[in-house]
Amino acid sequence: MQSLLTLGFVPLLVTVFSLVTRPRVSRVVVALLCWVQLIVAVSLCWPIVIGIQSQISWTEDFSVDRLSASFLLLTTFIGACALSHAKCFFEMEETVSPTYNATHEQIFFACASFFLLAMSMVFVCENLGILWVCIEATTLATAALVYFSRTKHALEATWKYLMICSVGIAFALLGTILIFASSQHGGMPTGSLNFTELTNHATSLQYSLLRLGYIFCVVGFGTKAGVFPLHSWLPDAHSEAPAPASAMLSGALLNCALFPIWRLTQLVVEAHHGQLATIIPLALGCITVLAASLILIHQHGIKRLWAYSSIENVGIMLIAIGLGSGSLFFLQAFNHSVCKAALFLLSGNVIQATGKKSLADIKGILNLSPVWGIALGLAAFGVTGSPPFGSFVSELLILIDSANKGYWSIVIALTVALLVSFVAVNIHLAGILFGTSPKETVGPGPFATSCIPILLIVCAIASGITSLPLFVVHMK
Amino acid sequence: MILNLFEMVVFGASFTAILIAGATHLRVNLALYSVQTLFIGFATAMTAHAHADDMGIYGIACAITILKGLIVPVCLVMAIDKIRIQSDAASIIPAPLAMHLTIVFLGLSYLLVRGLPVPLEFSRGWPGATAAISLVFSGLVLMLTRRIAISQIVGFLIIENGIYLFALTQTHGMPMIVEMGVLLDVLVGVMISGLLVFKIQHSFEHIDVTRLTQLKD
Repeated sequence: MQSLLTLGFVPLLVTVFSLVTRPRVSRVVVALLCWVQLIVAVSLCWPIVIGIQSQISWTEDFSVDRLSASFLLLTTFIGACALSHAKCFFEMEETVSPTYNATHEQIFFACASFFLLAMSMVFVCENLGILWVCIEATTLATAALVYFSRTKHALEATWKYLMICSVGIAFALLGTILIFASSQHGGMPTGSLNFTELTNHATSLQYSLLRLGYIFCVVGFGTKAGVFPLHSWLPDAHSEAPAPASAMLSGALLNCALFPIWRLTQLVVEAHHGQLATIIPLALGCITVLAASLILIHQHGIKRLWAYSSIENVGIMLIAIGLGSGSLFFLQAFNHSVCKAALFLLSGNVIQATGKKSLADIKGILNLSPVWGIALGLAAFGVTGSPPFGSFVSELLILIDSANKGYWSIVIALTVALLVSFVAVNIHLAGILFGTSPKETVGPGPFATSCIPILLIVCAIASGITSLPLFVVHMK
Repeated sequence: MILNLFEMVVFGASFTAILIAGATHLRVNLALYSVQTLFIGFATAMTAHAHADDMGIYGIACAITILKGLIVPVCLVMAIDKIRIQSDAASIIPAPLAMHLTIVFLGLSYLLVRGLPVPLEFSRGWPGATAAISLVFSGLVLMLTRRIAISQIVGFLIIENGIYLFALTQTHGMPMIVEMGVLLDVLVGVMISGLLVFKIQHSFEHIDVTRLTQLKD
């Protein structure tokens, strides 16, 4: 239990610290503390990382297994990267943005670290009820992040985000209650929301309540993950939030929303209703991938482009969940998270340097800053699934897996969607990379603005190379 | 079909939701919401009494009555006084029609819940579940058919009341930590959206959410 509390210590320290000190000091300290938090998380999951234990449980309701530990580390890593980059971002923002305000930045850091804490809790808790509370807490914490610039657009995005996600999450609460009721009709008269207990009594759970509960939870958490057609808040919130917040929203929050869907899908499979747990995520994933790739063709905002690409990746992850493969789900999530975080951070740099958000107005990034241009190109290849990035391996394995299981409609839809999105994203990107940059730009920032994105891209390529053995294993 | 006191109380809650869908005056809506939450608090207290005077459930009943039934409506009334907006206009469907729609949904909820198994401690399951699901529907109708941001918050609160009532009547006591977490999240959510309403009024000079359409593809 004590070791679990250490996970919350650093974020709470950051929250208090950033509220009481000046932004110039807190920026540096927060960036350092976030890496300390990563060290804490790694040390907490160390037995799992080196492979001597497959599960660590602190109390009845808090434990991690291999998959949740991997997600915990990924989330902490993305948080650390985004908040370290936030130092460069806000230094630049102070000079270029007319709406910058130091108090808003203090609130930003306080809420961001609370957000990070809530997201970490999602992966360590073993209880569906507490998990729901954590996910709702992420919604409330991020409202302040999206509203950072205090403009009309930011306000509109925040309002839509808060309302749509709250109603979506309310449905997930109804689903949670239905699953609790199904456990009371099954072998547990007092009822339980504990995943271990539920899985142990899986076959005795009352089926009609479990089925309803599962559907409500998938729809509810799916709203938070941006599943089509409940995605309308996502492009608004991702494009209006400041770049470090967009990186965290896209790179970490979407995984948090998909994780309970994965846990519940496993539960329904254990209850011998595998068909329900396959059809629903596959169908939703398929629709989401197709719709997002078609919407990607017509995009005019740089951050909205990445937001729709995130929706497309959520669809792919849902298909991986439907196929019941935790490793493919994580591989896809990891690659999407690191590449997308890099893309949002770089886009933030570009927007600050050029003062433009629209794809039509941004030109000649390669001219402006070759490092940014190459990094943008590589990260975009990463999210659209080209080799040598890990997403290539995971997407190919998802296609092979679906074909082996005979879901030919999924194979066709996914192939079409991946091709369309690859072409759409890269044509849009080519438009901003080449050409000559307008004269009135502020100019590229210091090299520090490229450090974190480069680190993220290196991680993505490394994951692609290290996941190749997975490919060989699968082929056999 | 004779209802006992508990069932009458829960249906009382769902009737107030129908009235809210029909009334466009914001103060009336908030007063009705308060009455609805008091009904739900009373139903909780009756459940506590049935569970051999369980102090934990009595505590939740008090928390609901005071926090959601009194403090939240009073805060929202103060908000509308400050913004100086008294009534709401319907957007897609006129208010009387929306009210009829919620009545249809009440009937639909009855049909929907007949498939659910009867909860362990009740002799029949349909009254509680029907009232709860009809509250969820009414809240959704209100959120979809109104223009003013305050009505959206009231709609969300009604949905939340419906979900709570479902948990109360269909399960045998949710874990206390979850109940408290949900209550806290809802309260913080309402406070944040209340603050946002002020900001919307301040920057747009209206709180008509159907006119928040600047962001699109």
